[in-house]
Amino acid sequence: MGATAAQAAGTTHKVTIEGMKFVPERLEVAAGDTIVWTNKDVFPHTVTANAAKVDSGDIGPNKSWKFVAKKKGEMPYICRLHPVMHGSVVVK
Amino acid sequence: MKLTHLAGFVAASSFAVLAAAQGAGPSDPQIAGIVVAANQVDIDAGKLAKSHSKNKEVQDFAQRMITDHTAVNKQAGALVKKLKVKPEESDTSKSLKAGGKDNLAKLKGLKGSAFDKAYAEHEVAYHQQVLDAIDKVLIPSAKNAELKGLIEKVRPAFAAHLDHAKMVVADLNKGGKK
Repeated sequence: MGATAAQAAGTTHKVTIEGMKFVPERLEVAAGDTIVWTNKDVFPHTVTANAAKVDSGDIGPNKSWKFVAKKKGEMPYICRLHPVMHGSVVVK
Repeated sequence: MKLTHLAGFVAASSFAVLAAAQGAGPSDPQIAGIVVAANQVDIDAGKLAKSHSKNKEVQDFAQRMITDHTAVNKQAGALVKKLKVKPEESDTSKSLKAGGKDNLAKLKGLKGSAFDKAYAEHEVAYHQQVLDAIDKVLIPSAKNAELKGLIEKVRPAFAAHLDHAKMVVADLNKGGKK
Protein backbone atom coordinates (compact mmCIF):
# COMPACT_ATOMS: atom_id res chain seq x y z
CA MET A 1 0.00 0.00 0.00
CA GLY A 2 1.39 3.33 -0.98
CA ALA A 3 1.09 6.77 0.48
CA THR A 4 -1.85 7.55 -1.79
CA ALA A 5 -3.86 4.62 -0.49
CA ALA A 6 -3.15 5.75 3.06
CA GLN A 7 -4.86 9.04 2.35
CA ALA A 8 -8.17 7.45 1.38
CA ALA A 9 -10.66 7.15 4.23
CA GLY A 10 -11.62 3.60 5.09
CA THR A 11 -8.12 2.25 4.66
CA THR A 12 -6.82 -0.36 7.09
CA HIS A 13 -3.41 0.25 8.65
CA LYS A 14 -1.32 -2.29 10.50
CA VAL A 15 0.80 -1.76 13.58
CA THR A 16 2.93 -4.64 14.83
CA ILE A 17 3.77 -4.90 18.51
CA GLU A 18 7.08 -6.72 18.70
CA GLY A 19 10.19 -6.54 20.83
CA MET A 20 8.43 -4.14 23.25
CA LYS A 21 7.83 -1.64 20.44
CA PHE A 22 4.95 -0.36 18.36
CA VAL A 23 6.00 -0.58 14.71
CA PRO A 24 5.54 1.95 13.24
CA GLU A 25 5.72 4.03 16.36
CA ARG A 26 3.98 6.96 14.69
CA LEU A 27 1.20 6.39 12.21
CA GLU A 28 -0.65 8.95 10.11
CA VAL A 29 -4.16 8.04 9.06
CA ALA A 30 -7.25 9.70 7.68
CA ALA A 31 -10.38 10.07 9.80
CA GLY A 32 -12.47 6.93 9.36
CA ASP A 33 -9.47 4.67 8.78
CA THR A 34 -9.10 1.41 10.65
CA ILE A 35 -5.95 0.50 12.56
CA VAL A 36 -5.16 -3.07 13.51
CA TRP A 37 -2.55 -3.72 16.18
CA THR A 38 -1.12 -7.26 16.21
CA ASN A 39 0.92 -8.51 19.16
CA LYS A 40 3.93 -10.60 18.09
CA ASP A 41 5.46 -10.80 21.57
CA VAL A 42 4.99 -13.79 23.86
CA PHE A 43 3.18 -11.78 26.55
CA PRO A 44 0.19 -9.41 26.50
CA HIS A 45 0.28 -5.71 25.60
CA THR A 46 -2.33 -2.97 25.41
CA VAL A 47 -3.00 0.12 23.33
CA THR A 48 -4.02 2.75 25.86
CA ALA A 49 -4.62 6.44 25.20
CA ASN A 50 -5.66 7.87 28.54
CA ALA A 51 -6.51 11.37 27.30
CA ALA A 52 -8.70 9.97 24.51
CA LYS A 53 -10.17 7.34 26.90
CA VAL A 54 -9.16 4.55 24.53
CA ASP A 55 -8.10 1.19 25.91
CA SER A 56 -7.77 -2.05 23.99
CA GLY A 57 -7.75 -4.27 27.05
CA ASP A 58 -5.11 -7.00 27.06
CA ILE A 59 -4.01 -8.08 23.58
CA GLY A 60 -2.59 -11.58 24.00
CA PRO A 61 0.25 -13.10 21.96
CA ASN A 62 -0.67 -13.35 18.26
CA LYS A 63 -3.93 -11.51 18.90
CA SER A 64 -5.09 -8.32 17.25
CA TRP A 65 -7.15 -5.31 18.20
CA LYS A 66 -9.00 -3.10 15.76
CA PHE A 67 -9.78 0.59 16.19
CA VAL A 68 -11.47 3.08 13.89
CA ALA A 69 -9.83 6.50 14.17
CA LYS A 70 -12.44 9.23 14.06
CA LYS A 71 -11.27 12.23 16.02
CA LYS A 72 -8.75 14.41 14.20
CA GLY A 73 -5.48 15.27 15.87
CA GLU A 74 -2.72 13.37 17.58
CA MET A 75 -3.50 10.48 19.89
CA PRO A 76 -0.42 9.45 21.86
CA TYR A 77 -0.74 6.04 23.45
CA ILE A 78 1.20 3.63 25.65
CA CYS A 79 1.07 0.00 26.64
CA ARG A 80 -0.66 0.12 30.04
CA LEU A 81 1.22 -3.02 31.09
CA HIS A 82 4.61 -1.69 29.96
CA PRO A 83 4.33 2.09 30.30
CA VAL A 84 7.76 2.62 28.75
CA MET A 85 6.28 1.64 25.36
CA HIS A 86 4.99 4.62 23.39
CA GLY A 87 3.17 5.09 20.13
CA SER A 88 1.14 7.72 18.40
CA VAL A 89 -1.66 7.91 15.87
CA VAL A 90 -2.12 11.15 13.95
CA VAL A 91 -5.57 11.49 12.43
CA LYS A 92 -5.56 13.97 9.55
CA MET B 1 22.46 6.63 50.56
CA LYS B 2 20.80 3.27 50.47
CA LEU B 3 20.61 3.15 46.70
CA THR B 4 24.34 3.73 46.36
CA HIS B 5 25.08 0.85 48.72
CA LEU B 6 22.70 -1.40 46.88
CA ALA B 7 24.15 -0.41 43.51
CA GLY B 8 27.61 -1.19 44.81
CA PHE B 9 26.51 -4.51 46.16
CA VAL B 10 24.77 -5.50 42.96
CA ALA B 11 27.62 -4.21 40.80
CA ALA B 12 29.96 -6.49 42.74
CA SER B 13 27.70 -9.50 42.39
CA SER B 14 27.09 -8.63 38.74
CA PHE B 15 30.83 -8.64 38.20
CA ALA B 16 31.02 -12.06 39.81
CA VAL B 17 28.31 -13.34 37.50
CA LEU B 18 30.05 -11.95 34.43
CA ALA B 19 33.47 -13.18 35.50
CA ALA B 20 32.09 -16.63 36.20
CA ALA B 21 30.33 -16.73 32.85
CA GLN B 22 33.29 -15.45 30.87
CA GLY B 23 35.77 -17.73 32.60
CA ALA B 24 33.65 -20.78 31.94
CA GLY B 25 32.65 -19.75 28.39
CA PRO B 26 29.17 -21.18 28.86
CA SER B 27 28.01 -23.99 26.60
CA ASP B 28 24.53 -23.92 25.07
CA PRO B 29 23.07 -26.19 27.79
CA GLN B 30 24.59 -23.85 30.39
CA ILE B 31 23.20 -20.81 28.59
CA ALA B 32 19.77 -22.42 28.63
CA GLY B 33 20.20 -22.99 32.37
CA ILE B 34 21.17 -19.33 32.86
CA VAL B 35 18.14 -18.08 30.90
CA VAL B 36 15.76 -20.25 32.92
CA ALA B 37 17.39 -19.23 36.24
CA ALA B 38 17.36 -15.53 35.34
CA ASN B 39 13.63 -15.63 34.62
CA GLN B 40 12.75 -17.80 37.61
CA VAL B 41 14.60 -15.54 40.07
CA ASP B 42 12.57 -12.57 38.89
CA ILE B 43 9.30 -14.52 38.97
CA ASP B 44 9.97 -15.48 42.60
CA ALA B 45 10.77 -11.88 43.59
CA GLY B 46 7.60 -10.76 41.77
CA LYS B 47 5.45 -13.26 43.66
CA LEU B 48 6.81 -12.03 46.99
CA ALA B 49 6.26 -8.38 46.02
CA LYS B 50 2.75 -9.03 44.81
CA SER B 51 1.72 -10.54 48.13
CA HIS B 52 3.74 -8.17 50.36
CA SER B 53 3.29 -4.76 48.78
CA LYS B 54 0.31 -2.51 49.37
CA ASN B 55 1.33 -0.13 46.60
CA LYS B 56 -0.65 -0.61 43.38
CA GLU B 57 2.17 0.44 41.08
CA VAL B 58 4.55 -2.03 42.76
CA GLN B 59 1.93 -4.78 42.64
CA ASP B 60 1.24 -4.12 38.96
CA PHE B 61 4.95 -4.15 38.17
CA ALA B 62 5.40 -7.38 40.13
CA GLN B 63 2.51 -9.00 38.23
CA ARG B 64 4.08 -7.88 34.96
CA MET B 65 7.38 -9.53 35.92
CA ILE B 66 5.54 -12.76 36.77
CA THR B 67 3.55 -12.77 33.51
CA ASP B 68 6.38 -11.75 31.18
CA HIS B 69 9.15 -13.88 32.64
CA THR B 70 6.83 -16.90 32.84
CA ALA B 71 6.04 -16.46 29.14
CA VAL B 72 9.75 -16.17 28.27
CA ASN B 73 10.55 -19.30 30.25
CA LYS B 74 7.73 -21.17 28.55
CA GLN B 75 9.20 -20.19 25.19
CA ALA B 76 12.70 -21.14 26.32
CA GLY B 77 11.35 -24.48 27.56
CA ALA B 78 9.72 -25.19 24.21
CA LEU B 79 12.93 -24.33 22.36
CA VAL B 80 15.26 -26.47 24.47
CA LYS B 81 12.83 -29.35 24.09
CA LYS B 82 12.84 -28.91 20.33
CA LEU B 83 16.65 -28.62 20.23
CA LYS B 84 16.99 -31.53 22.67
CA VAL B 85 19.20 -29.37 24.89
CA LYS B 86 19.05 -30.13 28.59
CA PRO B 87 19.59 -26.95 30.66
CA GLU B 88 22.69 -27.34 32.83
CA GLU B 89 23.77 -25.62 36.00
CA SER B 90 26.86 -23.41 35.88
CA ASP B 91 28.55 -20.97 38.24
CA THR B 92 26.48 -18.22 36.62
CA SER B 93 23.12 -19.94 37.11
CA LYS B 94 24.09 -20.83 40.68
CA SER B 95 25.20 -17.26 41.34
CA LEU B 96 21.90 -15.90 39.98
CA LYS B 97 19.88 -18.28 42.15
CA ALA B 98 21.97 -17.51 45.26
CA GLY B 99 21.55 -13.76 44.62
CA GLY B 100 17.81 -14.25 44.21
CA LYS B 101 17.60 -16.16 47.48
CA ASP B 102 19.56 -13.45 49.33
CA ASN B 103 17.26 -10.80 47.88
CA LEU B 104 14.12 -12.67 49.01
CA ALA B 105 15.55 -13.12 52.51
CA LYS B 106 16.37 -9.42 52.72
CA LEU B 107 12.97 -8.35 51.37
CA LYS B 108 11.10 -10.58 53.80
CA GLY B 109 12.52 -8.53 56.67
CA LEU B 110 11.09 -5.28 55.28
CA LYS B 111 7.64 -3.71 55.34
CA GLY B 112 5.68 -0.92 53.67
CA SER B 113 7.58 1.66 51.69
CA ALA B 114 10.95 0.22 52.76
CA PHE B 115 9.93 -3.06 51.14
CA ASP B 116 8.65 -1.32 47.99
CA LYS B 117 11.83 0.70 47.52
CA ALA B 118 14.15 -2.22 48.19
CA TYR B 119 12.21 -4.44 45.77
CA ALA B 120 12.06 -1.81 43.01
CA GLU B 121 15.70 -0.77 43.40
CA HIS B 122 16.78 -4.38 43.26
CA GLU B 123 14.67 -4.86 40.11
CA VAL B 124 16.60 -2.01 38.46
CA ALA B 125 19.94 -3.51 39.42
CA TYR B 126 18.87 -7.05 38.57
CA HIS B 127 17.61 -6.26 35.08
CA GLN B 128 20.79 -4.27 34.41
CA GLN B 129 22.84 -7.25 35.57
CA VAL B 130 20.94 -9.68 33.33
CA LEU B 131 21.14 -7.29 30.36
CA ASP B 132 24.92 -7.09 30.82
CA ALA B 133 25.12 -10.87 30.91
CA ILE B 134 22.95 -11.11 27.77
CA ASP B 135 25.14 -8.65 25.85
CA LYS B 136 28.58 -9.67 27.09
CA VAL B 137 28.20 -13.39 27.65
CA LEU B 138 25.03 -15.09 26.47
CA ILE B 139 24.63 -13.71 22.94
CA PRO B 140 28.37 -13.89 22.11
CA SER B 141 28.66 -17.44 23.50
CA ALA B 142 25.50 -19.05 22.14
CA LYS B 143 26.37 -21.47 19.36
CA ASN B 144 22.95 -22.63 18.25
CA ALA B 145 21.34 -19.98 16.04
CA GLU B 146 17.84 -20.55 17.43
CA LEU B 147 19.05 -20.27 21.01
CA LYS B 148 20.90 -17.06 20.13
CA GLY B 149 17.77 -15.84 18.34
CA LEU B 150 15.62 -16.48 21.40
CA ILE B 151 17.95 -14.47 23.63
CA GLU B 152 18.03 -11.63 21.10
CA LYS B 153 14.24 -11.74 20.94
CA VAL B 154 13.74 -11.51 24.70
CA ARG B 155 16.42 -8.86 25.24
CA PRO B 156 14.02 -5.92 24.61
CA ALA B 157 11.76 -7.24 27.38
CA PHE B 158 14.60 -7.05 29.89
CA ALA B 159 15.48 -3.55 28.64
CA ALA B 160 11.85 -2.37 28.92
CA HIS B 161 11.55 -3.92 32.39
CA LEU B 162 14.70 -2.04 33.41
CA ASP B 163 13.20 1.29 32.32
CA HIS B 164 9.86 0.38 33.90
CA ALA B 165 11.60 -0.47 37.20
CA LYS B 166 13.39 2.91 37.07
CA MET B 167 9.98 4.59 36.65
CA VAL B 168 8.64 2.76 39.70
CA VAL B 169 11.69 3.80 41.77
CA ALA B 170 11.28 7.43 40.65
CA ASP B 171 7.57 7.39 41.57
CA LEU B 172 8.30 5.83 44.97
CA ASN B 173 10.91 8.52 45.63
CA LYS B 174 8.37 11.21 44.74
CA GLY B 175 6.05 9.84 47.38
CA GLY B 176 4.48 7.44 44.99
CA LYS B 177 1.37 6.92 42.97
CA LYS B 178 -1.00 4.91 45.07
